[in-house]
Amino acid sequence: MIGSRYVGTMLTLAEFELRKLRHDSSEIFIRGVQPALWLLVFGTIFTGLRVIDTGEYTYLQFLTPGVLSQSVMFVAVFYGIMLVWERDLGLLNKLLSTPAPRSAIVLGKALSAGVRSMFQAIMIFVLALIINVQLRLDLLDLIGVSVVIVLAGMCFSSLSMCLAPIFKSREKMMGIGQAITMPLFFTSNAIYPVTVMPEWLRVISAFNPLSYLTDAMRSLLVTGEYSLIPLDIGATLLATLIFATLATLLFKRILE
Amino acid sequence: MKAVEAISLSKMYSDFYAVDSISFDVDEGQIFGLLGPNGAGKTTTIRMALTLIKPTSGTIKVFGIDCVRSAASVRQISGYVPQEVSIDVDLTGYENLLMYAKLYYIPKAERAKRISDGLQYMDLSDRQNDVAKTYSGGMMRRLEIAQALMNRPKMLFLDEPSIGLDPSAKTAVWNNIMHLRDEFGTTILVTTHDMHEADVLCDEIAIMNKGKIVADGSPKELKASVGGDVISLVAHNGDCTQILQEHGELLVSKPDLGIYELVVTEGEKAIPAVLESLEKHSMRVESVSLKKSTLDDVFLKYGGARIQDSGTGREARRMRRAVRKRG
Repeated sequence: MIGSRYVGTMLTLAEFELRKLRHDSSEIFIRGVQPALWLLVFGTIFTGLRVIDTGEYTYLQFLTPGVLSQSVMFVAVFYGIMLVWERDLGLLNKLLSTPAPRSAIVLGKALSAGVRSMFQAIMIFVLALIINVQLRLDLLDLIGVSVVIVLAGMCFSSLSMCLAPIFKSREKMMGIGQAITMPLFFTSNAIYPVTVMPEWLRVISAFNPLSYLTDAMRSLLVTGEYSLIPLDIGATLLATLIFATLATLLFKRILE
Repeated sequence: MKAVEAISLSKMYSDFYAVDSISFDVDEGQIFGLLGPNGAGKTTTIRMALTLIKPTSGTIKVFGIDCVRSAASVRQISGYVPQEVSIDVDLTGYENLLMYAKLYYIPKAERAKRISDGLQYMDLSDRQNDVAKTYSGGMMRRLEIAQALMNRPKMLFLDEPSIGLDPSAKTAVWNNIMHLRDEFGTTILVTTHDMHEADVLCDEIAIMNKGKIVADGSPKELKASVGGDVISLVAHNGDCTQILQEHGELLVSKPDLGIYELVVTEGEKAIPAVLESLEKHSMRVESVSLKKSTLDDVFLKYGGARIQDSGTGREARRMRRAVRKRG
């Protein structure tokens, strides 16, 4: 009973996020511009230059999973701003006055971000197919990628929801979002392989959830080498769990 | 059992008491008003009752359930309309209600009826499939109230229900609120800084100022406590002092100028009687006016200042405008 209510709350929040997207999906396209540039400009040029050693795969093949995970992270990391905005409006007070457990609300919000990320990713994915990037299009692989994308959205939105109760204002959250996205991006294996990184950067990369997410997507979409996927998923789940727990504990601070 | 019972309830923020040891109770089936200027501690009190924030000390119970120990049970029987916007303006009216019907775990079989009842009751059925940002201020408010009714709350908390509404929308919202009490016996706690609203709407009022309750009672009792209504008369052909004294307390009596002010309990009823007896003594009254005592006078007496419309109220209105589609 309690379990079904818990999951029910999460699914309800995600369902209405989807309904909002259905009413107005322009945001997906606007947010798609930046990842599109990474693929079309950066990817195409560096594929031609052949300066980054990506083994038997072309640079665009290597880059596409990276841009997918990067675009999901960019959407999800700014989710905390939405939380602050909802607090300012009164929506959050109203939501917290329902009997739903706080942690179900946090996870429901995270799942909403995951669902939103899905649509963002579909756009990038279609773009990659249009410019003829060779990807593995096996159904099971695609299902796996979807799971990884939702997980990525949940992970980074939980991180953002940990920060929102600490910084509390939209302006600060905007700055924080800017300040953490680029470091996360450049210390991950999204645009170059770990093998070309200096030693210190490899250490940082090993603690960066974006590296694990990108690695999982690269395995599923490009290499078909699944041996590290359990580690990738495990590490991301652990990070999500830590962020979501912290966010739940800090949550009531956002109201005060 | 009392619907709400607060005993020496306090909430302290870093360096000041937002709510300073207040005690009050609300009878079942009443509309109870917390009246006071912005920053008096009304919203903080409501949020403690709704378990959104924890009291620093003291207790508060809703229908006998402790708001700290059994927070989820309190939330299950309570409805809440915050002062700020609580509907998602990117969703339709129908979806806003459906979302909360689901969040309150209303069984599927019953959802459709509750939603259509809510829409009908708040007069929104014909716009239910429009996105809420196209609604007027009054419609948004009514949708918010409909949303708070999804779990058929025994206890409804309304924070500044008519803020930022035009007079006709205000009256519509008041009628809806009174209807809820009369038809469903819902107990309602409203906060307001609007004297007139408190007077029209509430059965009982507690006046708050600087975190404390400074006076409480029915609007009638409170107004009577500051004296009553004042009748001002102008009559030049003779001294009216003696005649007027039979009807009430004379505040001003200047026969040479022909000016009199008389304090009575119910002005409307006193005027005909006063005029009749003056006429009997052949006094010709040139003008008469009545100043009703208001809750503003009550607040002036107990709070030491007039309630002004500023601060959070302005902010709430700005927010409401911001979410509404322009043009």
